[in-house]
Amino acid sequence: MRRYRISYFIGQALQGIWRNGVMSFASIAVLMSCLVVLGAFTLLIVNINTNLENLDEVNKIIVFLDYDLTEEQIVDIERQIKKIDEAKTIKRITADEALRKLAQRAGENASLYDDYYKDNPLSDSFEITYDDAKDLTTIEFELQGIEGVRKYRDQRYIVNLISDIKNGVLFVFLWFLAILFIVSVFIIINTIKLSVYSRKSEISIMRYVGATGWFISLPFILEGAIIGLFASIIAYFVEEYLYKSFVGSLGISIEIITLIPFSELAGGILAVFIIIGVTTGIMGSSISLSKYTKK
Amino acid sequence: MIDFIHVVKTYPNGTVALNDITLHIDDGEFVFVVGASGAGKTTLMKLILREEKVTSGKIIVDDIDITKLSYFRVPHYRRNLGVVFQDFRLFPKKTVYENVAFAMQVVGTPQKLIKRRVPALLKTVNLSEKSKCFPNELSGGEQQRVALARALANNPSIIIADEPTGNIDPKMSLEIMNLLIKINKLGKTVIVVTHEKSLVDYYQQRVISLDHGTIVDDRVGGMYE
Repeated sequence: MRRYRISYFIGQALQGIWRNGVMSFASIAVLMSCLVVLGAFTLLIVNINTNLENLDEVNKIIVFLDYDLTEEQIVDIERQIKKIDEAKTIKRITADEALRKLAQRAGENASLYDDYYKDNPLSDSFEITYDDAKDLTTIEFELQGIEGVRKYRDQRYIVNLISDIKNGVLFVFLWFLAILFIVSVFIIINTIKLSVYSRKSEISIMRYVGATGWFISLPFILEGAIIGLFASIIAYFVEEYLYKSFVGSLGISIEIITLIPFSELAGGILAVFIIIGVTTGIMGSSISLSKYTKK
Repeated sequence: MIDFIHVVKTYPNGTVALNDITLHIDDGEFVFVVGASGAGKTTLMKLILREEKVTSGKIIVDDIDITKLSYFRVPHYRRNLGVVFQDFRLFPKKTVYENVAFAMQVVGTPQKLIKRRVPALLKTVNLSEKSKCFPNELSGGEQQRVALARALANNPSIIIADEPTGNIDPKMSLEIMNLLIKINKLGKTVIVVTHEKSLVDYYQQRVISLDHGTIVDDRVGGMYE
């Protein structure tokens, strides 16, 4: 029965990290940066998706009326809209209400809108909600036949716009990430190479006395894994700090957007970081070892 | 038992290190392999250790055709060989005891057995008193004795010594050679690669002489010519 002490392998791995401090630090730093970028990108996508889902859930269409309509004409339009079976709820928003909403969104700059109350440039509008996205086409068709309707805007437009932006960002980030990961792997390969080189004579003795390939390799594999683990843990805390700072800096200026609290995603992010970090470390070690330990 | 059957070794740069070597070494034999630099001594040793692969021919060690040995089987094969180098190759930061024990640890020998066997090995090479010393506190001869103890650690049947007296003074050289003879008498096959004429002539063992990759002489009780 062969018995090996795991403490021996971990000890050797930590020794390797310590011996090649600068390279180990560089590996951790690059891999950490890579993970932070990955995390930032993931958080961005998750937040975009959540907000898109929220928009979808609203199933809302805004109908803008002509500017010079009388109250009777507006009431008549409302009556016509109510006849549309697919319209679930109808809410009138007067031009003044719309202006007040705009001013509210401006926060500290709300006073900039004060002058417009005398001569409001906005028109009255209706907010129509519906149950199913399929109803939208019918509602739009009916609206086209109502006199006094200037234009209407459904949320699909925003959803499509954000989706397009998301796909564009996704494409750029994926390339960026791929390059960063390749750089990380190369730096880890070099770190482990240095570590293997500094223990060259030890390895040759191990080979001569009959140590198996895995016995020789395991400390180096662990070295890569520990580098990956350190990088992922540091990346997690950096990510948390950056995300919280970002959310804090946005404040109320984007209250229409829902930002997911970091705590909700923390477990998943840490797990993904550790899996990717450790796998990248092990991959780097394995590549650099294949040349040195096979003899 | 070691058999070389029409072994040829050519390195990638075209150098023919061994050319059609056929030889047989019996269990328990003591053999000197001699020759000038570039004669092929080191290559012969590397082939037995399976550090290099033959270009053609066969090498059989203890009924195993090592030319067909898979990469995964090589470590297990090497456990039957003990190697001693000219430069000792000891770990400077490990004590004498730890250096010997290390050879057993890497093959997964239980700690209990290591604790029992290492003192016995150190006794065999007359180093019981120095078990807690570090290599830099030892003379060249003593360091080589530690290397010998390490070579014996996993109880191999074959000991290969590559210029074992190359880095030590003549008096110590005799001591090392006497130890190798003693080990041989314990039933181990001992192969000593050397170019030290005086030692070869003094011990009157089997001598295989190599020159430019071929065996030019092979006789028991031979001399370094």
